[in-house]
Amino acid sequence: MKRSATGKLVTALLAATIWSTISFAKGDDFNSVVKMIEDFYNVKHEGLPFLAKAGMKAVGIGAKIKGGDAKRFAEAGSIKLATFENQEFKGDFMRFRQVLNDSLTQTWMPLVQTLTAPDHEQCYIFVRENGDKFRVLVVTIEPHDATVVQATVSPKNLALLMKDPEEGAKAITQEATIIDQE
Amino acid sequence: MKLLFHRISRALLISALFVITTTITVHAQDPRIRLAALDHLATKASETVDVNIDERLIQLAAKLFNDKDVDEAKIKKLVNGLKGIYVKSFEFDDENAYSTADVDSIRSQLREPAWSRLVNVTSKREGIVEVYIALNGPDVLGLAVLSAEPKELTIVNIVGPVDLEKLAKLQGNLNIPDLGIEPTKTKTKNEQ
Repeated sequence: MKRSATGKLVTALLAATIWSTISFAKGDDFNSVVKMIEDFYNVKHEGLPFLAKAGMKAVGIGAKIKGGDAKRFAEAGSIKLATFENQEFKGDFMRFRQVLNDSLTQTWMPLVQTLTAPDHEQCYIFVRENGDKFRVLVVTIEPHDATVVQATVSPKNLALLMKDPEEGAKAITQEATIIDQE
Repeated sequence: MKLLFHRISRALLISALFVITTTITVHAQDPRIRLAALDHLATKASETVDVNIDERLIQLAAKLFNDKDVDEAKIKKLVNGLKGIYVKSFEFDDENAYSTADVDSIRSQLREPAWSRLVNVTSKREGIVEVYIALNGPDVLGLAVLSAEPKELTIVNIVGPVDLEKLAKLQGNLNIPDLGIEPTKTKTKNEQ
């Protein structure tokens, strides 16, 4: 009888864990990642994630990205951006990486992840298919700032991103930030 | 009835054994190196890079790279048929930040029967550069590079049909670091 009760408890816990994982994976991953950062680092993002409208009317207009002209990666109106400014991102970055990967890797493909230990800088690039296009999720965490960007990119731009993921991720983040300021 | 029960039990046991044996055989031939044992080094490293390009992404890349663009066409040709590209690289501020045990956690996997160490690999870099190839008969299953420098540890694992020539050309692309590998005539340890 005791074993049976324990068994039921274990089953219930497993079911709850699986359900929460599936719910997370199926839901809006962008919002979930923003919430995860808030909970993990005890910080608050500025402004709600939004669809960047201004400045995204046409695809292919050269965006002024650090150092000069660069190709625009994101499809029109597809950018979701959350920024965290002047806050403390103190915490076990290895643990954060684990939590982030555990949550996303069922639905997203991790492309490149970089960690810089002295300042605990982290950059994560995830990709997933979205119809005939692709979604890219870039999470960048620095000691006092962080950004989460989700954008839809064309197959051609995904190819460019894969060719040089780090530069591509920087470009997407800068593009989103510039558009945010427009 | 009892006989039937015994027969079913025996059939189930044989099936289970078959499944276990098949799993072990497949695992033994799996050219994917397990790199998780090195994760703890990220806390000591000044920079950690983790690249995971799995088969789905490689297939996408193969489809997406433009044949008309010389660079893209070259990469497309190189990645065609590959099943995974995995890189883990650590840069340290000080020497001796990683241990022999860390390196051995990778080397021990490369001692499995499918793997052979390639000789005649030259690298312009300091430190140790070991290149291993996984073979199943004449078929190349994958390649692994272990580069251990005083302040840097890099492991590159390419799954699928690949050779040194391809690896040398892939360096510097798709976030594969430049390992300074120059392809020369290769020979497996079995041929020595």
